Amino acid sequence: MTQVRDATHFDAIVVGSGMTGGWAAKELTERGLRTLVLEAGRPITPERDYVEHKPPWEMPFRGLGDARAVAARQPVQSHSVSFDEWSHVFWTDDRDNPYTTPADRPFHWFRARQVGGKSTIWGRQVYRWSDLDFEANARDAIAIDWPIRYADIAPWYDHVERFIGVSGQAEGLAHLPDGPFLPPMALNCVEQHVRDRVQARFGRDRVVTIGRVANLTAPHHSRAPCHYCGPCHRGCITRSYFSSVNATLPAARATGRLTLRPFSIVRSLVYDAPKRRVTGVRMIDANTKTEREYTARIVFLCASALESARILLNSGLANSSGQVGRNVMDHIKGGGASGQFDGWTDRRTIGERPNGIYVPRFRNVTSRHPGFIRGYAFQGGAGRAGWESALRAPGIGAALKERLTQLGPWSMNFGGFGEMLPREENRATLHPTLVDAWGIPTLHIECQWSDNELAIHRDMSVTAAELLEAAGAKDVQPSTRGPSTPGGTNHEMGTARMGRDPKTSVLNGWNQTWDVPNLFVTDGAAMTSSGCQNPSLTYMALTARACHYAVELLKRGDL
Amino acid sequence: MERRELIQWLVATAGLPSLAFGRQVHRRPLRRSLSAHVERTLTVATERILPGAAEANVAAFIDKMLADWHTPEERARFLAGLPELDTRCHTRRAADFVACPEADQVAVLTALDDEVTALRAQRGGGTANQHWFAMLKYLTVYGWCTSEAGMRALGLYPMAGRYDGCAPV
Repeated sequence: MTQVRDATHFDAIVVGSGMTGGWAAKELTERGLRTLVLEAGRPITPERDYVEHKPPWEMPFRGLGDARAVAARQPVQSHSVSFDEWSHVFWTDDRDNPYTTPADRPFHWFRARQVGGKSTIWGRQVYRWSDLDFEANARDAIAIDWPIRYADIAPWYDHVERFIGVSGQAEGLAHLPDGPFLPPMALNCVEQHVRDRVQARFGRDRVVTIGRVANLTAPHHSRAPCHYCGPCHRGCITRSYFSSVNATLPAARATGRLTLRPFSIVRSLVYDAPKRRVTGVRMIDANTKTEREYTARIVFLCASALESARILLNSGLANSSGQVGRNVMDHIKGGGASGQFDGWTDRRTIGERPNGIYVPRFRNVTSRHPGFIRGYAFQGGAGRAGWESALRAPGIGAALKERLTQLGPWSMNFGGFGEMLPREENRATLHPTLVDAWGIPTLHIECQWSDNELAIHRDMSVTAAELLEAAGAKDVQPSTRGPSTPGGTNHEMGTARMGRDPKTSVLNGWNQTWDVPNLFVTDGAAMTSSGCQNPSLTYMALTARACHYAVELLKRGDL
Repeated sequence: MERRELIQWLVATAGLPSLAFGRQVHRRPLRRSLSAHVERTLTVATERILPGAAEANVAAFIDKMLADWHTPEERARFLAGLPELDTRCHTRRAADFVACPEADQVAVLTALDDEVTALRAQRGGGTANQHWFAMLKYLTVYGWCTSEAGMRALGLYPMAGRYDGCAPV
């Protein structure tokens, strides 16, 4: 292993410190590589920056957000479900980070620039893929085949889950494999009832289970179990949920081989054409706006699907297939249903469980749906409304105050997350003129749902209502929400896909670019299809797998 | 201090530059964006709408929202409507709202609440939320429920530190 020659040369450079950058930092440093992590945003100190325990009365707008500042500076970011008055500091400023879309095809590009990236504000739901997903493109003759199967990634799911800590219930479903779970979080009374009734009606075809979530329910690698305060997306001072700040970056730092440089915006890669190798990266200091280069033997792009594609496009590299920026995917949501339950009026929930229920995909698993291919899963939960439902209740005085303390009836909702097919025309390209605040060309994004996604969206509301009716709910209301805006689920992926053929894919089966052997892309860009599972677990497993492969190549002298 | 005493004291000290009750009150004084009369009116009205609102200093929250959150149109609509409290009290007692007996204040507020409720029941009742009294009531309820006193009273603070999905009410 080479030693650091000076402050600008490293064994490895990792671009991005979020979900996958943190994993690359951990795996590469633990395997002996002096690793530089370049993060575009600010450093995060949990004791200073986490705000999950700050009560509403300490916020200027009591949680309603600074409407004027949001309209001026974060009109896109504010659409995220985890954006609020506390967490807005963990999202980018849209003025500094512009992009464009066709006027009639909006795309929500949610971005987080700080150490930890979006791993601080993620939803923490983690689900394995299976060969139902890895074989899907080949089976349906859609796009291209994945170069890997479940057996290739299963050990890496184990590896990642054992480190991050996942609480969940083993269900023995072949298409949603179990992992080494920590104890599951509890279903509440109504969720348990719905699970039992759905099982009685649908058997193992439709299963209501507790969400599999990267929140600890037992001490794990020196991190404390969850204390059920609720708003994980504002940080977690007890490190009870997985994020790179809470877990992978400290592990990397403990090796003594990590150099983390915040405020470092990578403009492009530096390429040695005769050797067909990248020699490093060209970056801009976000504060001084000065440019400098860092060199390394290997480079990992972990900047998020669209940012990594943007770096490749701005570098003019790894794109002999013409696939960089294409096949943008997200998960469609908006379909579902809610209903009310009589009974359990003497019962309530205590504490804020940062997790809900999950209904694994059941469409096109053992049978064939006539209206669409692939499928969707439900997330949701049951509860009793509190004072928020009485904000506009009639009456004043003591009677109104009494009304505010009353809990509403139990209700339960299911919301679908549907698979999106890869299509070349859903595409991010370099904008011909528009640049960001640092002068770096930004993206023009064209992405829209196809008929298959729209059929999935419609079916979600039908089957969610079936689940509620099977459970005896009354006043069942199918969702009236239309399809979500593409990008709105923040599961964007696919912009530098893996494949078996350099002519049709950007990456091989090890997340290594076909064109530049010492360049790896391991974030969501690598995805060849989207599944319907929340994708971060798969990104992390692919990253760890690629890191071990890269280190083996380095050791063999093959890079 | 009993609520009745508090309100009397409120009215008596209405000319003082700063009103502060209890330890949960924001330490900064009320913003200067509203006249002293409006502040006084808001403080009494919020307390009548939701007992405890004065001690939780909900009027300061409303002031902040009017100054920095609502649109200029919303603020103007609210401030144009609020004097109606005085107008209605004058027809009953020949006195401003804050100087009226509690029973008259409650009667005036109840009548306004009934009017908003009737608007809500009409076809296209969505406009009810734009009524200045609906704004006042919403901000009062929201402000109290997100105050320390309100969250304690609602059992939402301090946090439980555990999860029980089927606890007795």
